[in-house]
Amino acid sequence: MSQTPPSYGGDDSNNQGGAYGAPPSGPQYGYGGGGPQGTPPPNHLVWAILSTLFCCLPLGIVSIVFAAQVNSKWTSGDAAGAQESSRKARTFALWSTIIGAVFVVLYIILFAAGVMSMDTTVNQY
Amino acid sequence: MTLQDLEQDPATAGTRRPSGVLPAWLPSWAAPTAVTVAAASAAAVLWSVDPNEPGHYPTCPFLAATGLYCPGCGTLRATHDLLHGDVAGALARNPAVLLALPYLLLALVTWFRRSAGHPAPRSTSLPPAVIWGLLAAITVFWVVRNLPGFDWLSPA
Repeated sequence: MSQTPPSYGGDDSNNQGGAYGAPPSGPQYGYGGGGPQGTPPPNHLVWAILSTLFCCLPLGIVSIVFAAQVNSKWTSGDAAGAQESSRKARTFALWSTIIGAVFVVLYIILFAAGVMSMDTTVNQY
Repeated sequence: MTLQDLEQDPATAGTRRPSGVLPAWLPSWAAPTAVTVAAASAAAVLWSVDPNEPGHYPTCPFLAATGLYCPGCGTLRATHDLLHGDVAGALARNPAVLLALPYLLLALVTWFRRSAGHPAPRSTSLPPAVIWGLLAAITVFWVVRNLPGFDWLSPA
């Protein structure tokens, strides 16, 4: 899943009046109508933070990377790239949640089956 | 024209997105309400079932696999401590939980406001540098809490 870095070339325009870093430069809307109009795609930041803290998996951190990319690309005019990053942020947060949930369910099943017991897990971590 | 569109800041507009998870006939507040109920239920379990007792909850998979702490290690114990009013205990287990909690609560409030049609800021209107900074902070936290001499950041 290779990720090309966001394009900050002259074809992107920063329409925020320089509020978010680089000053506006270059022609407007080099993306052929794909410029930042309307609502930015969700960056799933809350989900990413939740999965980082509660799913105990580094996958959540990958989700934060893509959340940051959504905002970066959107403010630099790359609407299509922001959509793509949004989708990836969602995918990684989703998988982090699923794997975390599967882990918990497996744990409960193993407990119920008596494979593990409380006493034997003492001092295991 | 385009500049004006952005001046209106669609990121803070009270626009609703279809969740894609819940059926469309449900009211817009159903999703945030469901999440609130789920979080409250989880908090009730965590309040009553002590994560300091081994065997009550699964060990962090990353810790079990690598022997290293991840940024989320100690989250359950920190939340348990918080629910019992022990802020110092929560800080000792995982300070990131304490830092994240106000933001998570704010996100829930703004979600409810948007679902009621009111304008509310969302994370897409954050400057990118803020999220990149968050990423850097979490990565540093992840590394440092595994280093000797930084026991105060480790969940143990």
